[in-house]
Amino acid sequence: MTRTLTTVTMQLADADAVVARAQRGDPVALEKLYRAYAPATYNLVRRICRTTEDAEDVLQETFYEVCRSIRNYRGEGSIWGWIRTVASSKALMRLRRNKYRDTDELNDELAPARQGSPALRLDLEAALDRLSPTARAVVWLHDVEGFTHEEIASQMGKSVSFSKSQLARAHQRLRLWLDGGVAG
Amino acid sequence: MSQEHLSMELLLAVRDGERSEPEQVAAHAHVASCEACRAELDRLHQRTAMLRALPTLTPARNAFPAVQRQLAEDLRHRWQRRFAMGGLAAAAALAIAVVGNDLARPAELDASEQLETAMSRSQVLERTLNAWRPETRAMDARTAEIVIQLEDRIAEVDGRLERARRLAEQVELWQERVGLMSALVDVHLTKATNVDL
Repeated sequence: MTRTLTTVTMQLADADAVVARAQRGDPVALEKLYRAYAPATYNLVRRICRTTEDAEDVLQETFYEVCRSIRNYRGEGSIWGWIRTVASSKALMRLRRNKYRDTDELNDELAPARQGSPALRLDLEAALDRLSPTARAVVWLHDVEGFTHEEIASQMGKSVSFSKSQLARAHQRLRLWLDGGVAG
Repeated sequence: MSQEHLSMELLLAVRDGERSEPEQVAAHAHVASCEACRAELDRLHQRTAMLRALPTLTPARNAFPAVQRQLAEDLRHRWQRRFAMGGLAAAAALAIAVVGNDLARPAELDASEQLETAMSRSQVLERTLNAWRPETRAMDARTAEIVIQLEDRIAEVDGRLERARRLAEQVELWQERVGLMSALVDVHLTKATNVDL
């Protein structure tokens, strides 16, 4: 699969120069980084976090970390790739901290009533929301953000097979909820 | 394999072009010959495309001011720890005080002495700042902004000094440089908010 980054609403044309200035502590450059990458960062963490409040907290935590650690960024990979990794790590940490009851289970307690009923098919947004936080995070990080299973497993502190299994089970559920059929 | 339809895990492997396992290689071959699995793979591709096409969610508030406050608070705590250790910070404060005293009574000195005094004090402040090694210190956004402004102004004064020919003008510029250097040391060693630009 071609790795496709999610929508970065404003790419920095002069990213290298802005990063270099940010690494020297230039506050204007730091704010420029925030304005360039906050929308995409928020979109990522909001897809993982359960509430907007959690997502906004994680957005703040992410850029606090970015500003503190920008000097450690060595230019290996894009600046967005680096910020994205910080953001996903923070969002997954938030998930663990909240200790959702259904962290490792699909949130499909309502699914039987919807199976095979086209009238009750969910749209994609609603279907995503019904996945467990872990499954939703794996789907988003892998299929949209382009993280590898190895990267996801590392960030979650789980195995690669766990990540693959979560992705497959999530797609089975999405397939069922969206198309009404039975897959796999 | 050819008699059964593919599991979601193998469909995902085909979608992602994985061929590292024999089962995955067989899955690619199976899709080529199985219309039902090809249709399922198409649905998977469509679903993935739909996921990527979901609208971008945007935050309700600008988080950057809160980030800046956190960074400033960090800096304040670091300063408290450093000042508690005394040492260089105290020495630097003393240097600033001495410079301040000398500059406070320029009228008692003639122009040449004033020039010599200002140049000497500028060197003291340069040494103090170099010993502090500001390039190794973290600073918050507001501090960095003030440092940049001060450094720009010092560079501007240095440019004017190169062109200055009259003694009185040189004295005035060197004294301005000492003032700016003093502020720069101050902003590095104390709170940025105390510096009035």
